[in-house]
Amino acid sequence: MRLLRALAIAALLAIAVYAGYRLFSPHPPAAGTVAVYYCKLDGETLAKWVVSLNPNANDSGSAAFYAAAQAVAGPPAGTAAIRFPAGTVVRSVHLDGQSASVDLGGAIRSRQSGSFAESGEFKALVWTLTSLPGISAVQVKIDGIRVPTLPGGHFELDGPLTRQSW
Amino acid sequence: MLVLVLGLALAGTEPLCAQTIGSANNFWFAGTRLAFEHPQLHAGQFAVATDDAALGAFLAKVGAVLSYQPGQNYVVFTSADRRVITFTLGDSRFNVAGVDQSAGFAPYVAGNVAFVPFLDLARALFVDPVQDGATTVMQPQIAALEVRPDERRTFVTLRGATPLQFKRTSGASEDTVSLLFTGIASTLEPQRPIDAAGLRAVTIAVGGTPRNPTTTITFETPPGSVRSLAPSESPNSLTLAFAPAGTQLGGTPIPATEHAAPATAELTPSDQAGAPAQPAPAPVASLPPSAADQTAISDTGVAAGPAMPSETATPTAYGLAPATITGLRTQSLDGAFNVSLAISGNVVYEFHRLSDNRWYVDFKPATLGVPNEDQSPNDPSVLSLRVKPFVGPVDRLATVRVALSLQGPRAVNLVPSSEGLTIEVSGQDDPAAQSYGTGELLPGRLYTGIVPLPPVSVAPGQLEAPDEPWKFGRGVQTNSRLIVIDPGHGGSDTGAMHNGLVEKELNLDISKRLRAILIARGWEVKMTRDSDVDVFGPNASARDELQARDDVANKAGARLFVSIHINSFTSGDLNGTTTYYYKATSYALADAVHARLAAALPSKDDGIRKDNFYVIHHATMPAILVETAFLSNSADAQLLKSSAFLQKVAGGIADGIADYASGSQPLSNEGGSSADGI
Repeated sequence: MRLLRALAIAALLAIAVYAGYRLFSPHPPAAGTVAVYYCKLDGETLAKWVVSLNPNANDSGSAAFYAAAQAVAGPPAGTAAIRFPAGTVVRSVHLDGQSASVDLGGAIRSRQSGSFAESGEFKALVWTLTSLPGISAVQVKIDGIRVPTLPGGHFELDGPLTRQSW
Repeated sequence: MLVLVLGLALAGTEPLCAQTIGSANNFWFAGTRLAFEHPQLHAGQFAVATDDAALGAFLAKVGAVLSYQPGQNYVVFTSADRRVITFTLGDSRFNVAGVDQSAGFAPYVAGNVAFVPFLDLARALFVDPVQDGATTVMQPQIAALEVRPDERRTFVTLRGATPLQFKRTSGASEDTVSLLFTGIASTLEPQRPIDAAGLRAVTIAVGGTPRNPTTTITFETPPGSVRSLAPSESPNSLTLAFAPAGTQLGGTPIPATEHAAPATAELTPSDQAGAPAQPAPAPVASLPPSAADQTAISDTGVAAGPAMPSETATPTAYGLAPATITGLRTQSLDGAFNVSLAISGNVVYEFHRLSDNRWYVDFKPATLGVPNEDQSPNDPSVLSLRVKPFVGPVDRLATVRVALSLQGPRAVNLVPSSEGLTIEVSGQDDPAAQSYGTGELLPGRLYTGIVPLPPVSVAPGQLEAPDEPWKFGRGVQTNSRLIVIDPGHGGSDTGAMHNGLVEKELNLDISKRLRAILIARGWEVKMTRDSDVDVFGPNASARDELQARDDVANKAGARLFVSIHINSFTSGDLNGTTTYYYKATSYALADAVHARLAAALPSKDDGIRKDNFYVIHHATMPAILVETAFLSNSADAQLLKSSAFLQKVAGGIADGIADYASGSQPLSNEGGSSADGI
């Protein structure tokens, strides 16, 4: 009887801890879907599509990583959009308070498009990640390093980007 | 709940039945064996690790990329045509472009890497396993044929696992177009009736062997119909357009049988760094200018992207799988300096020596398997060494550049080694050293095709640093008559290159015209550069280079800062003129200048935009960046080739500055003090 009571208390404690984490975590789990934004060819208008999260992988970190990967891949083929260069890779996404730090690599290092595309690409990425609960700013890194701009680029990446950056 | 928590914690960890394998690891793909380093068998399925170099090589060949972060639950692959393939750890379902599918097993984590079902992944990337004796041939497929009819035209898009290179073969009649694809099979239905504008049916015939398949796709059209190649979204897709007779159809003509025209009038990569120009291939005379930039065609067609230069590398270069620079070691010895490169795979190289003692070699197609290098070795022969990857702006090939700044015209030799190649910089000068050479590196052997070039003609001072030292400190008095013009890019940074135009050259041309007008109107003008040079230094970091431009204006106490650029985009669709500002204090200048540009220029008015571009953010006075047109758009490119247009751009900016200055705009220099009005 005493053992059963101890087990019940332990289970209740575990439930309380888990519920507390879910309630008060700065990054509560994402909903079942994530809105992924892309920038249309006018360079200003944003549109979005929705991707589903796996119910077993909707923790905030995984959701942010998945959202970033989708934003970098861009909308399905045939959609007119400003896109990251083919071959751009999301190396990691880390959440810290209200900020997401996105580390990109691959073809983004050697992009050849102009200022117009740079702005649209990062606008889409920032809007995607800031649509996640608790995220309001995005710090972009290239190969793990904060850079002032992309190589030969224009758009400033030195500090955190928010939706108000545009 | 505890069970749930435990279940979540255990999800995706290594299953007990996973086992390493050896002899079953016998896959063949694109002419080479895929030697997986540490594959596992799980439930009879082949599991590969996300960090396996063979998986990386496979993905590179199909143009796909992998995004995976240890500790996260998703393993995301993106195909060349932007289909996202998502695996979730612990779940045997995976998602391909929004459609759920079932994998042979649930991906799992072992150590710090994830293992995914290779064959399911390959199929999602349009690569099917085909048994050939004891070998499993991973056979690329043309796996999608999309038909999009509109009222007058029919567009057909083919999607394949690998770049869709084709040769046009003789059709049965003038009303058929047959394209032969080698090295790729097809899972498409052999017959597909269409009955849309300009196209009746498509037939697909597969032949060859498992390792060398061929696919012939024949388009049957109504009599007299017209057809062309349309721009494609990726090298792995090919879009053709069909329309009834008499219809004006854009795009590029599908090459005729045995057509062997050289491809392009684009600049060669050697032009990027101010190297001597290579003989330019002849332009495609039969194509209209609007088409020449979209898709270059020879008898071996390439689906998308700009054409490959025929002069800068041996033809075999483009058939090679990308090599990887897997190691880099430097050694300084008795005045000499060696850079030893470990290279896996065959690679083409091309070296250039510039007149200011810079020397560089490009390896292509190649990827850099080690971190970028940027060192100043303090060596008597070598000032700096930089190694970085980039995509060739013209040939779109993955390229790795090794760049050296030499202490003088040192002799440089390329020496093959067991690992790859050693760049030997001698302690001795060789004023007659080759300025250009190209060749191919095969295992342990260097094939050289040295091509001496005419002597380089460089005007005195052309490659020198800007004229005056930047002698002003913080809080400098604003010079109310001084305008700083910043010709974007320059030197080692070409900016965009399209349609035979180079951004840095046009920026400088417009800037010089603007300078002349402003000086004639009584302004003092300072240029961040007035020749083809880097403002900070060759191959400097973005911060150093861009801040150096701002420093010219900030330290001189300029009243205004105007940066001149030409825009570009991945497709040729976009055009127009845009004026950017960032700080509120710059809006009035942007407004005044853009109003004049919009009135003066025939290009599309793309308006004024606020964007956080470095040079207009960190200039302490009102600052704008003018993107005068799109290099990548054929109509804008034609304008940019016109001296009259460039003069109008300069005149429009100058008039806008005059409007701004004559208005009631207060002087604003956030980093300095105010000064007299004009």
